[in-house]
Amino acid sequence: MVKTALEEFAFLIPVLPALAFVITFFFGRKMPAGGAIFPILAIAASFVISFAITLGLLANPEEVISQSYPWFAGLNVGILIDPLAAVMLSMVSFVSLLIHIYSISYMSHDPGKPRYFAETALFTAAMLSLVLSDNILQFFVSWELVGLCSFLLIGFWYEKPSAAAAAKKAFLTTRVGDVMFLAGIIILTSDLLKLAGGFQDGTYLLRFDEIFSFIPQLSALQANIFGFEISHLTIITLLFFGGAIGKSGQFPLHVWLPDAMEGPTTVSALIHAATMVTAGVYLVARTFPMFIAAPDSLMVVAYLGGFTALFAGTMGIVMNDLKRVLAYSTISQLGYMMLGLGLGSAIGLEAVGISIFHLINHAFFKALLFLCAGSVIHAVGTQDMRELGGVGKLMPITAATMTIAALALAGFGIPGTSIGTSGFISKDPIIEAAYIFGEHSSNWIPYLFSIAAAFLTSAYIFRLIFMTFTGKPRSDYHGHESPAIMTIPLAILALFTLVFGGLTRTGFMAFLEETFTNSFMNLNIGNLAGTGKNELIGTAGQEPLLILWLPVIVALAGLAIAFLIYYLRVVKLGPLASMKNPIYRLLYKRYYQHEIYTEFFSLRIVYGVIAFFTQVIDVIVDSIVEAFGIITVGVSEELRKVQTGVVQNYATAVIAGVSLLIILVKLTMEVI
Amino acid sequence: MIPLPFYLGLAALLFSIGLYGVMTHKSGIRMIMCIELMLNSANLNLVAFSSYTDTLNGQVFAIFSIALAAAEAAVGFAIFMAIYRMHDKINLDELNILRW
Repeated sequence: MVKTALEEFAFLIPVLPALAFVITFFFGRKMPAGGAIFPILAIAASFVISFAITLGLLANPEEVISQSYPWFAGLNVGILIDPLAAVMLSMVSFVSLLIHIYSISYMSHDPGKPRYFAETALFTAAMLSLVLSDNILQFFVSWELVGLCSFLLIGFWYEKPSAAAAAKKAFLTTRVGDVMFLAGIIILTSDLLKLAGGFQDGTYLLRFDEIFSFIPQLSALQANIFGFEISHLTIITLLFFGGAIGKSGQFPLHVWLPDAMEGPTTVSALIHAATMVTAGVYLVARTFPMFIAAPDSLMVVAYLGGFTALFAGTMGIVMNDLKRVLAYSTISQLGYMMLGLGLGSAIGLEAVGISIFHLINHAFFKALLFLCAGSVIHAVGTQDMRELGGVGKLMPITAATMTIAALALAGFGIPGTSIGTSGFISKDPIIEAAYIFGEHSSNWIPYLFSIAAAFLTSAYIFRLIFMTFTGKPRSDYHGHESPAIMTIPLAILALFTLVFGGLTRTGFMAFLEETFTNSFMNLNIGNLAGTGKNELIGTAGQEPLLILWLPVIVALAGLAIAFLIYYLRVVKLGPLASMKNPIYRLLYKRYYQHEIYTEFFSLRIVYGVIAFFTQVIDVIVDSIVEAFGIITVGVSEELRKVQTGVVQNYATAVIAGVSLLIILVKLTMEVI
Repeated sequence: MIPLPFYLGLAALLFSIGLYGVMTHKSGIRMIMCIELMLNSANLNLVAFSSYTDTLNGQVFAIFSIALAAAEAAVGFAIFMAIYRMHDKINLDELNILRW
């Protein structure tokens, strides 16, 4: 490994935004623009360093940056920037930078600006530190920090009860996943300690490359759970995936994500695009060699991902709130990413490539969608689509950029070429891979999920576009195009949404696969897949023409339906879209998740059990404590009578004591 | 010359009388007088030992002790004067406000 000058600066990537957090938090009130300048400069610097490192890695993927410093025992803190981390770092810092610039204007009227910019800077710092950590423990610490920042930012307007509740919900729901993740780390650590024979000098136990070198032995360890022989590796990976479910909003822990839009829209953009939700996908990608070597784990990932993609799509189609539609689309797209990773059981390392590629492209167009929505909300003051309509005439730039983002989300492009929106270029390989997976294992469910979700995606996003930007205003509002400081980030993101996928298509995935095959990790994925009883097959490209075109066809169908219903308004939904229709009601009520999760599970069962035990404990503990109290009071009630207040009695006591002392001393002297 | 045990016996007798007085008498004045008795029995011991060993150390101690006793008596009587002004009596078993 050549020590380059850039390597010296790698540690600054998370440290600079963290410093900006401190400065803005304490002194932001006295700075111009609420102290926005420090986070923006710091994140810009982080982006420059990350991008330079990425370029260096592109030129020579072997030049992985790896620095480790001992922490305690066999654990360390360190930096690992390989292709996977490098593209994530560049994306996170870039998107976060644009969102920060946009926020200057978006948050200009908010008195809490310094707090906002400080927290977003910390959020970015935590995410950057998560991405470049070289061991699972540091990863977990940053992971928790990301969770904390999301709590603070979702509850940014904490005086609003709904925002406070949403923040609490996000924190508690992701906590369920975090506990599973932590349990996975604990099992992994104890297994590694057993296998390596305790902490060795010179090796850092929980570093990713160290963990991966133990995969065959981990896989050989078996545990017996309810009579099933399960490999330890499967347990660990499934627990890790549990953490990813919480963070990345997969079914069944997705409930916090739609509520998370209670925060400022820019925060939603940050959470949904750059930071937070991508952490779960990144975790699975980072530990992909473990997943592929564990039987059944990737199957769970694929099924849950595919199901989430479809499940969230069905809810997205009936929502009336601008941001809520986008929130469900995020869950759905994250489902695609998980599905892509899960398909690794058939296509091997390529899964990491397509999934992270989609993650990056999704970050661009989802940030764009949210910032456009923010622009509309900022100008018009409502986010209910039923009250909007005709905004396109008032805000042409916003409308144009949002349409570009919608095209990317729905995945429009020409199959077989590099022409198309970036959403198409990265989503299509996932659907294709699902097809290959289906052909390979005659298991068509993930493919059907992904196609159905593609149709729904197109339908709900164009419903949003048509309801918001076309037609006549449905309520009395006044608006104007946003200032340049907001529209320029939109334009930059729109440019990336259009061309990034097409330009990088060929090199990107091969670059990402270098992560695990370069001389630093040096893993043989074929062997690992064999350990996990996964058969790998050749790459895509030989599918029937219809299969290649099908995603675009269903997307067009979705667009056509939305066009007929919400633009031309020739098809009247009438009773179909009313509370009388049980399916509509089911979707509109979001599958009664609130009733099931919050009211039944949380309040009735969990809270009820806790309340019961609290009462039992109260009775037992209280009576013990009270008994002590009663005894003490009763005894002292008698003993206090010793204090007569008569001097002679005291004198007598003193004399008796002294006499006793003398006698005792005398006796002891005699005995000795 | 009177032998030492006689002095010690007298001192012990004086001390016991003083002790008895402290434990039984109710009047504050009498109590202070009894305390003086006990103190002086100790002084008597000091002087007796001094004379017995033919040194002056004990007598010096005794002089200090007498000065101390005088100061103590002055403080004690001052307190009793103050108490007497408040309660019109210095009957110690009735002055039991510092009790349960």
